[in-house]
Order: sequence, then structure tokens, then C-alpha cells
Amino acid sequence: MIKSQRRRATSIVRYIVLSLWAVIAFFPIYWMVSTSFKPDTQWFTWPPVYFPDPPTLDNYLNVWFGAEQYAATQYSISSQKPLISLGNSAIIASTSTLLAVLFGSVIAYGVSRYKILSEVRMFQLLMLRMIPPIVIVAPLSLFYSALGLLDSMVGLILIYFLTSLPYAVWMTKSFIDEVPREIEQAAEILGASRWRTVFEIVLPLIRSGLVATFLFILILTWSEYLLALILTKTQVTTLPIELSKYQGSTEGRVYGRQAALAVGITVPLMIVGLIIRKHLARGFSFGMVRR
Amino acid sequence: MARIELCNLEKSFGAVKAVKDLSFTIEDGEFVVFVGPSGCGKTTTLRMIAGFEDPTSGEIRIDGRVVNDLEPRDRGLGMVFQSHALFPHKNVAQNIEFGLRMKNVPSEERVKRVREVAEMVRIGHLLEKMPSQCSGGESQRVALARTLVTNPSTFLLDEPLSSLDAKLRRELRAECDRLHQALKRTFIYVTHDQEEAMTLADRIVVMRSGEIVQIGSPMEIYSNPVNYFVADFFGSPSMNLVAGEIVQESAATRFRSPAFDVVLPENFKATKPGAVTLGIRPEHVGVALGDNGDVELPVRLVEPLGKDTLLYFDAGTERAFIAVTEGLGMAEITAGERITLSLDRRRIHLFDTEGRRIGGAR
Amino acid sequence: MSVAVVAAADDVQPRLSMREVSRRRAIKRFKWSILSPLIALMGFVLLPVLFLQLYFSLHQWTVYLGSWWDADWVGLDLFKEVLTDPRFGWAAVRSLMFATGSTIGCFLMGFALAYLMYKPFRGQALYYIIFILPMLTVPVVVAYTAEMMLYQSGPINDAITRIIGIEFKPAWLTNPHIALPTVMLLEIWNWTPFSFIIMLAGLSSIPKEPIEAAEILGASKWRIFWEVQIPLLRPVIFLALILRFLEAMAEFPKTWALLQGGPGTATETLPVYIFITTWQYFQISKGAAMSYIVMVMMVVIVLIAIRILRQEKQTLDTVYGNKAAGNSGSGS
Repeated sequence: MIKSQRRRATSIVRYIVLSLWAVIAFFPIYWMVSTSFKPDTQWFTWPPVYFPDPPTLDNYLNVWFGAEQYAATQYSISSQKPLISLGNSAIIASTSTLLAVLFGSVIAYGVSRYKILSEVRMFQLLMLRMIPPIVIVAPLSLFYSALGLLDSMVGLILIYFLTSLPYAVWMTKSFIDEVPREIEQAAEILGASRWRTVFEIVLPLIRSGLVATFLFILILTWSEYLLALILTKTQVTTLPIELSKYQGSTEGRVYGRQAALAVGITVPLMIVGLIIRKHLARGFSFGMVRR
Repeated sequence: MARIELCNLEKSFGAVKAVKDLSFTIEDGEFVVFVGPSGCGKTTTLRMIAGFEDPTSGEIRIDGRVVNDLEPRDRGLGMVFQSHALFPHKNVAQNIEFGLRMKNVPSEERVKRVREVAEMVRIGHLLEKMPSQCSGGESQRVALARTLVTNPSTFLLDEPLSSLDAKLRRELRAECDRLHQALKRTFIYVTHDQEEAMTLADRIVVMRSGEIVQIGSPMEIYSNPVNYFVADFFGSPSMNLVAGEIVQESAATRFRSPAFDVVLPENFKATKPGAVTLGIRPEHVGVALGDNGDVELPVRLVEPLGKDTLLYFDAGTERAFIAVTEGLGMAEITAGERITLSLDRRRIHLFDTEGRRIGGAR
Repeated sequence: MSVAVVAAADDVQPRLSMREVSRRRAIKRFKWSILSPLIALMGFVLLPVLFLQLYFSLHQWTVYLGSWWDADWVGLDLFKEVLTDPRFGWAAVRSLMFATGSTIGCFLMGFALAYLMYKPFRGQALYYIIFILPMLTVPVVVAYTAEMMLYQSGPINDAITRIIGIEFKPAWLTNPHIALPTVMLLEIWNWTPFSFIIMLAGLSSIPKEPIEAAEILGASKWRIFWEVQIPLLRPVIFLALILRFLEAMAEFPKTWALLQGGPGTATETLPVYIFITTWQYFQISKGAAMSYIVMVMMVVIVLIAIRILRQEKQTLDTVYGNKAAGNSGSGS
């Protein structure tokens, strides 16, 4: 085969493989979204219904707004709890993430410029994240209940903050490392104090990196399940827990309602993920990918 | 006013001694260039003066005051970095203004000063641009302006032109020279480019592996290099260096190598016989008229440059032996021809086996 | 789990300038003012927790048995019980199988996709977006969506039947022999994007010149892959494998929300078994002993992982030069 033909063949094979995986990757998401628009008779049928016919907003209205006319049906779930959970999730995830990025970036600055943590310590910090939470969650819940932190936002924020810190430090450090020392020295010799240099030069330069770090960690805290399941009861349930309660609370399958809730949980995450898609690799690369 | 004294300055990074026992005084208003190959300690010296590196031992004094314990911002210096180090998120005007803001200069005054300085380095039209929109030369002017505006007593320039192309480099070199004339401030300039050093400096400090090799005006350095290294480093094309030996014969001191046999002038009379290297700059080698030449060599290559013509000869050495002749008169010569050359006796340098120059100072 | 921070011994240098001394003092002050509240917080949360865990694993207590501080001392009995419990052993085996299988699956899939995509082509951006979507789906949502799709006469079986033309009706979730592989497939679906993203970043960070040089020297694509790309990618490959493995060992939301360890104990991994023991059987003490064993095991694995990662990072530093360290000399 001559070169151009071979290249063409490779390119066709590539498109076939990639498209196949694209279908596999996308189909479950499509199914979730389409189910959320299906009337109750189409949730669970043979043969399965691939396109909601006719599409309906009933599931959303019932789940999210507990609209009265739907609240009376046998598939009714809610008393607007999901909206409250949405609020809880938003507050807990964003507060703990914000704290992690705040502390993480200051530590990262110290590590990048003054080596306040050696490389070994930086890696050891990762343990906070890598040891499975299941091994401490039971005594943690007992300890929390003694402190009155069980079923409270503060409790969840605290533990999310601690487990997000390693990623926050590593990721912000990768951005700070990219600010050349000479730029800081230029500011310094022009008369800027250390704090002024940090606030006027370094921070604005890594601003987009900080946003990316924030959103990256938000993805992790938003979807956390185990800790939220055990450390909350009724007061501050987060969205993933709200979703898991649906199954137990009703007889039979309520796929349409669940799907409507699932879409509500997932959409914010996807938006966030797509915003920072270019930075995702940094979140996990721990200095292993050189740019 | 700034007279900078470096006393027994030393700097080591771990086991590596970057600067060794360096003592030197830079007079007020002087343009001093530190020059040497990379890794010679010139940038480290500059960064110690600026205050970004602490000397391992020794003192730095500015106007008699020891500044070792002062932060960079309190030393009254300005610095231009090799990478320009402009603040990428601030536009040109904000970049220039930065130093004034740090000194709490009121805003009307700031605007005025920024404008003045920008005009001075001819970037008045760029004030609204972002650094990323500026060319290399423009960025360098902005970096200069940013330093100028704070009116420092001394300008430290760390290879400021090394990222630019040859033409821009010449242009900005002239600009630096003009600024120095106009401001009458002390300039300390670091470069690895001997041509920059020659054209800009009042005094050149030649450094090599952490030590000062020679200090002097460009002319001194050029015509009286203290050793082989300096002789070889300065000048383009560089000095012809031929290894050979000294022999005393029939009351004359002669230099001999496979290709050369030259009677040395009176001032080399006391030279002991032994191995030496003879050095002579290409412009002091002439094409001999008549038969009073010193050596006859085959031409390897002819390089007409317009104003001058370079002749490369095969002298049995690794490097060609070069002669510069004026004009294009010699451009007709073809490779392989044998030409008789004469050396300007008064311009001959001899270096011993350690590279030190032997006698013969004029 | 707490991270002890010990001040690095200051290099002993003969004469420090006053500025250097005060700077070191300032750095130290900065270091401790930022680290001490965090260390205190970690100590405050983690120490009591670890202590409680240890206490429960050495005392027999459950929620019905009155105050926990009055529980009976049983020594190492609970550890003995756990270590001789075949169900625990099987859970460990399942966890390891699940983690190994899904790690390899994610890696091969992610690497293949990344290899097909690291050079620019038309539609690249769109494929990239679609490929990262599964990772942006909350794990518990993955579990419920799987349930909506994987029942025996569900859309997955229906779609496959239509495509291949033969009836295809595995009981994904209720057949004990395929339930664990099903969860593994879900894990692979969920986290292939992770391996994909890392490997894509790794592949695009390899400088082009060595590859072009190898091409000009007549190397085939295959040889270039094995002799140029793979060695340069080694640190990234280790990273992708290690992180995925650790996360898979800790996987809980999908296995739990979808199957609660069932059918039978077919999908009962370590986290699930600990959860069931503690929160369904309320054998708090046995759960604590199990947790301790799993924790020690994970700490060992993580320490090995950290060792490997650090070694790989040092290799990288010698290959590319240490950018980060060059940034942080002693200046200012």
C-alpha cells in the first residue's frame, strides 16, 4: 500500500474504534436522560422504549418541585427534599472545596518556593486521600456524635476538607511552579513586599489554575457517597444520598423519578467538568506529566 | 550616586564554588561589564549585588555601607532580567507604573512619569498593549522603562539582549549606551558576548570559573590580554594562536613551529627557550610585499566581507591561521595558492604552557 | 494516617548572614503558622478516631451492649475471628480481583483511546468531551442507571440482541457468576476516562523529536511504540495504574447502591463486608478489627505505591531536568 492509502485506512479504523467507544460511553447517559422524560408506563417495558413518547416533564416536576398534581400519584416521592439536598450539597461541597483550595494554595506556595514540605512529605500527604474512608468511618461517626457533629454540615465539611487537601496542594503547586521566579524577583526589586508580590503578581497569574483546582475538587466532593451516607441522617442529606433513599422508600421501580433526580445531580458536574476539561490531567498527574 | 565595592566575595552552592574571593570596586557612573563563558560566576555575582543570592562570605558595600543584610528592594538598585520578567497580566503602562505604586507615588505624578520614561525608550505608542502583544525588542524596552522609572542609583542588567536577534541586539545596545550617557548612573552589565562587552563597557571584568581573570578598558583587554584565555575570548575573528617553541640562536630570539620561524623583537630577548604559544590578531598579519615576509602558507579559504577580506591559511594547526586584508583586493586569490605573510612584530604575544603571557608588554 | 511533619535539619553552614538568619526564621514561622492548625486539626479528628478504632477492635461491644466504655476486653480475639472468617478472606480476594481487573481494563481501554487520539485530527475535541463524560457521572448515579439498563429484558440486552441477531439475555445483576464482572465493567466504564486523560497528557508531553528521529532511522511504528514511547511514558503508566488500583480497592458506592454485596455474597468486597458487618449486623467491634486489618494492608500498599511514584518522579527529573527544584533556589 502506498503511504496515503495506508494513512487513510488508519484514519478510518481510528474513527470506527473511537465512535464505538463514544457510543458505549454515551449510551448510559442518554438512557438516564431519556428515562427522565418518560411517562411512568415506559420506564420498565418489553421491548424497551428508546425514545420517550411523548416526552414529559412529570418526573422533574414531581421530584424537584413536588408539584401537587403529581404528589398524589402512587409514584410520588417527595416533599421537595431534593431541593433542600441540592442546597446542602452545594454548601457542603463548595465550602469544603474552597477551604481546601485556600489552605492548599498557601501550602503549595510554601512548598514551591521555600520547600516547607519535602517531597516525601508531599507524597505522604496523599495518604489522606488514598486510604479507603470505610476503615475510619465507624469510629468517626461515633466521635462526631459525641461532638454533636453528626448529621451536621460542619462535620461533613471538615472531613471533606481534610480528604481534599492533598489534591488541592498538589494541583495548585503545579500551577505555582509555572510562575517564573524572575517575575517575582522583578516585583521585589521594584519595591514590592512579599505579601504584595503574592497578591499582586502570583495570585492573579495562577487565578485560572485556582479556579480549575476548585472545580476539580468540587467534582470529587459533590459526588462523595460513603462518608455522607454514614455521617448524615435526615438533617443535611446530600444529593447522592437523597438519590439512594429513593429506592428504599417506595415499592416497585421508580426509574423515571430516579432518572430525573440523577440528571439533576449529574448536570452541574458535567458542566463543571467540561469547563475545566483541559486541566483535568493536572489534577491527577502529581508531577508525572511534564509540559 | 553609587560606588559599589565587592570585598572578598565568595559564593558556593553545596560543594561547588561559583564565585571565589572576588574583590573589585565599581566607581560611580561607570559602565562595567562582567563577561565570561557560561558558568563563570558572572550572573551569580550580579545576583549577589542585587540581593537575590547571599554571599557565602565577603561583603558588598554600596557607597561605603555594607548591604549584605538589606533586602533587594532596600538597596536602591534596578534590575533588567534576561527573560524580561514582565508581568504578563498587566499592560505596558501598569508594568512601568508598578515600581512607583510600590513607593506610593500619587497617581497624577505616576501617569506623568510613566509617559516620560516611555518616550525616553520610545515605547509611548505601546502603553495600552499587553506584554504578550509586544515583540522581543519592545518587551526589552518595556523592561528597561520599568526599571528606569524608579530612578535607581545603579542598573543591573543580566544578559538583557541574549534573547534577541542580531540586528535588534545592536539597536538596543546603542540604546543602553545612550541611556548610560544621559543618566550618568552606574551600570553593571552581564553578558557572554565579547562584542557587547567591547562596545558598551568603560571597564570590562573578565571572569572564568568564579575568578576574575582581567580587569581593564576594552582597549587594554584587547591589546594586552593577560593570558591565553582572554586573548582567545576577545576579538572576532579571534586571535591566531600557534603552538611552537622559543630558541636562542645567533644572538636572536626566535619562535619556531613546523610552519613558522620568526625572529622576535627586542622585548622578548630575555625569554627562556621552551614551549610557548604565539598569538597575533588577524589584523596584524599582512600580506608581504617583496620578499621580506616571515612565512609562506597555502590559502585554505577566502572570505570576502565587503569592507575586508578574510584569508584562512593552513598552518599545520587545527585552527586556520587568519589574516584580515582591507578591501576586496585579495578576493581574487584562490584556495591552494601560497602567499607570503608578514607579522607585525610589535603586536606579537607569547603565552607560556600555563597560558600566562610572557613579557613583551608594550 | 496523620502526616507528621518534622522540620528538615537545617544545613549547617559556617557563617549565615543576618538576612539569611531572619529569612530562615520567617520561613519557619510561615511554615508552622500554616501547618500547625492543619496538623492540629488532623490530630484532633484522626487521633481519637484511630484510638476508638483500636479500642473497639480489642473490646467486644455493639450498640445493644450499653455504654461503649464499659465493654469487655477481649484482647486479640476479634482479630483472630476476622482472620479465620472465610467470608472475610473471600471479600479480600474479591476486592483484589475487582481492583486488578478494573485497573487493567481501564488502563488498556484508556491507553488505546489516548493512543488513537494524541495526534490532532478532525473531531478530536468532540470525542474528548464524550469520552470524559462517564467520569463526570456521580458513581451512585452510575449504579442506578445501571440498574435501569441491566435487568434481564432491559435495553442493553435488547440492543445487543438486535445488533448481533441472536437472543442475548445474561442476567447481569442476578447471576452470582457474572455479578462481580458486571460491577467491574461498570467501574471500567466509569473510570476509563481517568486513564484516558492521564495517558493522553503523557503521550502529548513526549517531545516529538525523538520519535521523528527514530522514524527517519527507519524504525517501525511498533518499535517506536515499545522502544521510545513506552519507556518515556513509564512514570505516567505507573501513576495511572497505581491511582486506579487504590481507588478501586476503596470502591463502595457502585457495589453497594447496586447490589448490596449480593446476589448472595457475589459482590461482597472488603468495603461492602465491613459496611454490612458494622451497619447491618451492628458488630461494631468485629468491623473495627476488620477495618484495622484493611487499613494496615492499605497503608502498606500505599507506602509501596509512594515509593514507586517517587522513584519514577526522580527518573523524570533526571530525564527532563528538575524544573521545580530549579525554581526554588535559596534566593529571596
